[in-house]
Amino acid sequence: MIRFLTRPFSSRLRAGYRWIDERTGSTELVHKGLYEAVPEKGGWAYTLGSATLVLILLQLFTGIFLLLDYTPSFSQGYDSLKFLQDSDHFGAWVRGMHLWGAYVLILVIGLHMLRTFFSASYKRPRELNWVSGAILFLLVMGLAISGAMLPMDQAAYWTMVVVTNIPHYIPFIGDGIRNLWRGSGDFVGQTSLTRTFAIHIWVLPFLLFSFIAAHLYLLRRHGEFGSWVNYPTESEDPEKELGERIAHAEPPYPTRRVERRWAVPRRTVDFFPNQLFKDTVISVLLIAVIFVFGFVVGAPLSEPANPATLSYVPTPEWFFLPLDQVLVLAPGTYLIFAVAIVVLFVALLCMVLLPFLDRSPERSPLRRPEVLLPGLFLTALLILLTVLGSNRLFNL
Amino acid sequence: MHLLAGTPPLQPIPTSGVGGSVAVGIVAIVHVLIATFITGSSFLICVSEGISIARNDERHERLAHSLLKGVAYVFGFGSALAIFWVLFVLLGMWGTFFIALTRITFWPFIFEAGLFLTEITLLYTLYANWERLRAYRRARFGLSILLAVALWWQMFFIDVVASYMLTPNGGDTNQLAQVLNPTDLPLTIHRTVGNVAWAGAILAAVSAFRYMRAKRRERDVRVDDVPSPRSVGAMAATWFTDADGAVAAHGAAASNVAYFDWAGTWGAVWAIALTMFQPWIGYSYAKEIQLHAYPAWYRMMFGDLSTVFLLQIFLLGVIFLLGALFFWRRMRASGTRGTRTQVLMLAVLVLATILAAMPARFTWTLPDAISAGANRPFWDGGLTNPIGTMVPNKIIALLAMMICGLISVTSLVRAHSRGELRWGDATRRSQWLLVALGVTVSLMMAVMGVIREHSRQPYLISGEMTIQGQTILNAPAGQGQSVSSPSNP
Amino acid sequence: MSSSPMTRRRFLIRMTNLGAGAITLMLSIPAIGFLLSPLWQKRQLSWVRVGAIDSVPVGLPTPFVVSMPIGEGPPTPNVDRIVYVVKSDNGVLRILSNTCTHMQCNVHWDPSLGQFLCPCHGGLYDITGANIGGPPPSPLPQWVHRTLVDPATGQTVLEVQNQFDESI
Repeated sequence: MIRFLTRPFSSRLRAGYRWIDERTGSTELVHKGLYEAVPEKGGWAYTLGSATLVLILLQLFTGIFLLLDYTPSFSQGYDSLKFLQDSDHFGAWVRGMHLWGAYVLILVIGLHMLRTFFSASYKRPRELNWVSGAILFLLVMGLAISGAMLPMDQAAYWTMVVVTNIPHYIPFIGDGIRNLWRGSGDFVGQTSLTRTFAIHIWVLPFLLFSFIAAHLYLLRRHGEFGSWVNYPTESEDPEKELGERIAHAEPPYPTRRVERRWAVPRRTVDFFPNQLFKDTVISVLLIAVIFVFGFVVGAPLSEPANPATLSYVPTPEWFFLPLDQVLVLAPGTYLIFAVAIVVLFVALLCMVLLPFLDRSPERSPLRRPEVLLPGLFLTALLILLTVLGSNRLFNL
Repeated sequence: MHLLAGTPPLQPIPTSGVGGSVAVGIVAIVHVLIATFITGSSFLICVSEGISIARNDERHERLAHSLLKGVAYVFGFGSALAIFWVLFVLLGMWGTFFIALTRITFWPFIFEAGLFLTEITLLYTLYANWERLRAYRRARFGLSILLAVALWWQMFFIDVVASYMLTPNGGDTNQLAQVLNPTDLPLTIHRTVGNVAWAGAILAAVSAFRYMRAKRRERDVRVDDVPSPRSVGAMAATWFTDADGAVAAHGAAASNVAYFDWAGTWGAVWAIALTMFQPWIGYSYAKEIQLHAYPAWYRMMFGDLSTVFLLQIFLLGVIFLLGALFFWRRMRASGTRGTRTQVLMLAVLVLATILAAMPARFTWTLPDAISAGANRPFWDGGLTNPIGTMVPNKIIALLAMMICGLISVTSLVRAHSRGELRWGDATRRSQWLLVALGVTVSLMMAVMGVIREHSRQPYLISGEMTIQGQTILNAPAGQGQSVSSPSNP
Repeated sequence: MSSSPMTRRRFLIRMTNLGAGAITLMLSIPAIGFLLSPLWQKRQLSWVRVGAIDSVPVGLPTPFVVSMPIGEGPPTPNVDRIVYVVKSDNGVLRILSNTCTHMQCNVHWDPSLGQFLCPCHGGLYDITGANIGGPPPSPLPQWVHRTLVDPATGQTVLEVQNQFDESI
């Protein structure tokens, strides 16, 4: 004991770490995580995935603090947050970070999806990676919209009314779904808030983290694909070059069940420190933006929810604008059902099942226009509907 | 200000009803066609130049240069026409209105004028120095981006003025409220997208003519076009280079053929691809008009402009039809796969266009039908036609047009990416389709201009100022907006 | 399968499956019951007094704020709702709700338009509540209502029930 206490500090630290490592195997775990090979070229584009994870963890982190203050009550919910805004500046900052974190997360997850779409990282054998990712996207959107309903100010209340009314247009089971969510029939009441709260803090996060685990496991299993720029062959004998690449591949390459030319990137580096550095830079930038905006702009809180208002103009959150603009443009019951429910559902299904729709071995976007053009069209349409919908944010 | 005192004020050039309207209409439409071509082309120039830098591709650079030259050629005439428009129509015939408008939308006009100066500088710098800047491709690209940006911002500011005339936001003269008037954003987006589509259509039409000419030259070169010698020595030389000279000339003609075929198809793809977004934008635009300028909206949908509006949706269908028809014939000429898809799209588009162009009633306006007691379906003895209703039939037709357009364009691009399209294969008949596309798009833009101006009448500023008399209605007491009031110093 | 003999191993597996099935059943019965419960939920109806409507002018829809019990689900405080009283020239009395039939936003009477306007997506209704513009698919529903004469003041008093005359 005395010998332990009189040893120099660094040696004690080393001994302490060795104690933990013998019992947990942490060194081996960390090595496995950090020294995975990733493609060298295009690393900055591949930081979006880890940025998404960091932002989700940030939401979890800031959300816990909000949970310590917020009451999911029709009457108390607004007051609890108003107190935060007025008297607790750090609390207001945390709430601001939670909101801006959500906005930045939606942006980044959209960019991540676009990147993996362009680089065709969803092709065999990584189809399930895309499927789990698409489901994650839907879960994040669900979290965003359910979170928007919680503050119980006018904006939140009317978001709840409109969004919970969308299932009404599904024939037969629609009203049942609506009543199940609202808990109080035609009206939105306290029960609606309780259920939305439960969805936001438990149901969706539980599903989210389950799918994140699956997504990360699948990524590690097959290795990061990168994009077509990571796989050119330069020699006159490409077959021989590919064979050599496969023979000298570092784990997790060569990817199994994939065509030979896409099995091993031309050059790989270790995840640590090369890719991790890039990931860190992007994460720092994004969190800095959230840090600043959370304080300077903060999260708005309009008047308390008033179901009997005659003057308030409900305006949706920006990420909800495309669907809202479709609701503006689709008049009549059948059109609303057709466009806002059926077409949306089919589009989302196509998004989730994309790897099974596009099964060609081609990875360059220029060589698969039958996927690229509809994808570009839908992305442009989304942006267009968002911009058109934003008109109402400034007018009326 | 004494010229403006007195009610009603006299305009320097008296407007004489129909004659005046026609003159205004012609000048306005030509101005819009030229301005939108310039703005749309600037975007296409950037895209083409960018691709040429990224891929070190010569024909994209040639296209960018040709578009720039086209823009430079029309810019002079277009600017002169614009000045003519401002001086004689706006100031001369509608002087009171224009001065009132300038007082309200002063800053947008200032910015617009400043941007106009910027564009002139950039455009002529680029035009004169295109070859000289060949060593500095990226700088040249940067200049073309600046030109496109300046042109877009000029359009943005003029849209503020134009949309203000339609939906003045309650006459509020707060600067920000003018810009954020309800139809400004939809109009700007509509024009941004439409400009590029229009430029693509013109590119397609002009390339079609050049293609047909180049095809003729290619045919003739093989037979006739041999350079004539100037000296005995040169004559002797041609005994050896004769075939080469002919081959070179033929080669140039052949490369021209391939180039114009490609350029025409490129333009058509842009035209159709961007037109696919217009139904969404147009509908949003009309929705804002319904909410903020209801009389204008009613006139377009149910009143005396509803037939003209019907013509517009018909022209939209024709645009998609011509596109699909051209893509089909082009793919067939090169023997690519996927022509069956095009034929299917064509069939659906024909049905969609018929459905879209179906009139909702057999009278000129809805009030006519109501006053005739015939507001019932024609199979019930009335004069309306429920098949032609906007909701849901025309909306379904528009959605069908959009989806078919997408599939049609994708099918062509797919054939190209497979390398199945051989440039130079296009038939002369298919080129006339491109010409028809250009004509249809210009017709459509003219029709839209007519609808726009007439729907707002008799107002020049909705609810605020009429054409006749040009006095400002609803002027709040004490606020210096009433230009013609003698009590206002 | 049935032909091969029952071994200890197969018995253990079968019993485990049975156990898992039992757990699934025991968990799903309450859960599915809960999910289906809205199907047989009935609203507890009650009459709420709105007020005297004699002074409501003809041709001008007048809003009244009413505190209404929700009547479904767990007991919760009342919510404020709007009741529009519309008297038309031909003497017809309509008690319109201001819940838009599109997405249930609050509709309000706009005197400058002479129509009910829904600010969410620009839905328009005329004075009788008929949907005449924008996305709403059906007319404004009426509250189930009754009028009484107050014996003390002789005024017509309006009462509404906490339900619409049709489901939207």
